[in-house]
Amino acid sequence: MSKEALFKEIFQANSKKIYHLCYGYTGDDETANDLMQETFMKVWQNLDKFRNQALISTWIYRIAVNTCLSHLRIEKRHPKDELTDTIIETKGEEISEKNEQVSALYKCIAQLEENERIIITMVLDEVPYVEIASISGISEGNLRVKIHRIKQKLTELYNRNERF
Amino acid sequence: MKDFEALKNIWHDQITLPKVGHEKVLKKIRKTRNGLSSKLLIEMFGMGIATAVISFVWIDGPFKMWTTHLAMIIFIACCIYYIVVLIDNYRRINYTNLIDKPEDYIIHLKKYKHDRYIFNTRKYSIYSVFLTVGFLLYFVEISMMTPLWVTLVGFVFTLLWIALCYFVLMRIYIKREESKLEDMIQNLERLQKQFEDNDL
Repeated sequence: MSKEALFKEIFQANSKKIYHLCYGYTGDDETANDLMQETFMKVWQNLDKFRNQALISTWIYRIAVNTCLSHLRIEKRHPKDELTDTIIETKGEEISEKNEQVSALYKCIAQLEENERIIITMVLDEVPYVEIASISGISEGNLRVKIHRIKQKLTELYNRNERF
Repeated sequence: MKDFEALKNIWHDQITLPKVGHEKVLKKIRKTRNGLSSKLLIEMFGMGIATAVISFVWIDGPFKMWTTHLAMIIFIACCIYYIVVLIDNYRRINYTNLIDKPEDYIIHLKKYKHDRYIFNTRKYSIYSVFLTVGFLLYFVEISMMTPLWVTLVGFVFTLLWIALCYFVLMRIYIKREESKLEDMIQNLERLQKQFEDNDL
């Protein structure tokens, strides 16, 4: 398989989930697209190293996580539109009720800790726990406990948000 | 009240999709490079026209003095030199295989940036001196054919134009080109470094 064909296949299989991860992490559509693009640029540059790896999605997730982390570190040095309620609320006004729920969900995710945001977006996207453990560098046992807490936290945040 | 399963359903119902396709990712690196190469092509075309016009004036003009012929040779030599450099740059910036090897691509871009800087500064100074000498020689015969004030106006205007190119326009050009290449290098280096740091 040619490099471009392989890249296309990898992109199509993973781009949506990586985009969700970036969106959940930044809360901004445009930045999420930029970060996803940057992630896949790294994937392309290192595709030869990936060829023999069984779980390529794990690698891509790790790149995406690190890309998001690096981005936020830069953003913190040059704060511009910090992830604010305004960004999500403004967008929320423009979209349908269904998407308002999605916006509210993203808003709640934004209130979680950095690593919690990463983990929960993967849980929501149904990434297997073994893979999440490998990506986040946490043992599977600890991860299960952590996921349970994050799920509770997110549900609480969402329900509280819905009441107001 | 919603439970986590309900939140999961909301998540899966979302229509927020990435706006970037795999082609766009590949195009992104190529895009900056193509921008630079198109600019070089336009410059090459401009210099080609200038060479043709000077050659036509030289062949068709009523010039008798050796100073004018020498001036014309200097002008054409300057133009040819400029075109050769541009062709070389065009060839170097279009070296497509580099996309496969980021490390080599960074080294290549750094060398290219350095060479362009030398060309735009040191070599451009020599080029400007030759052009000025060429015009000085050219205006010797012109002064015999036209009133003194016409020669003076022509010469001063030419000198001012060369000075404007050297002190103002060239500096803006260098700054823009440098920053564009630096951006490319920094982005690639940052990606490279992050990747090494990640120990993937």
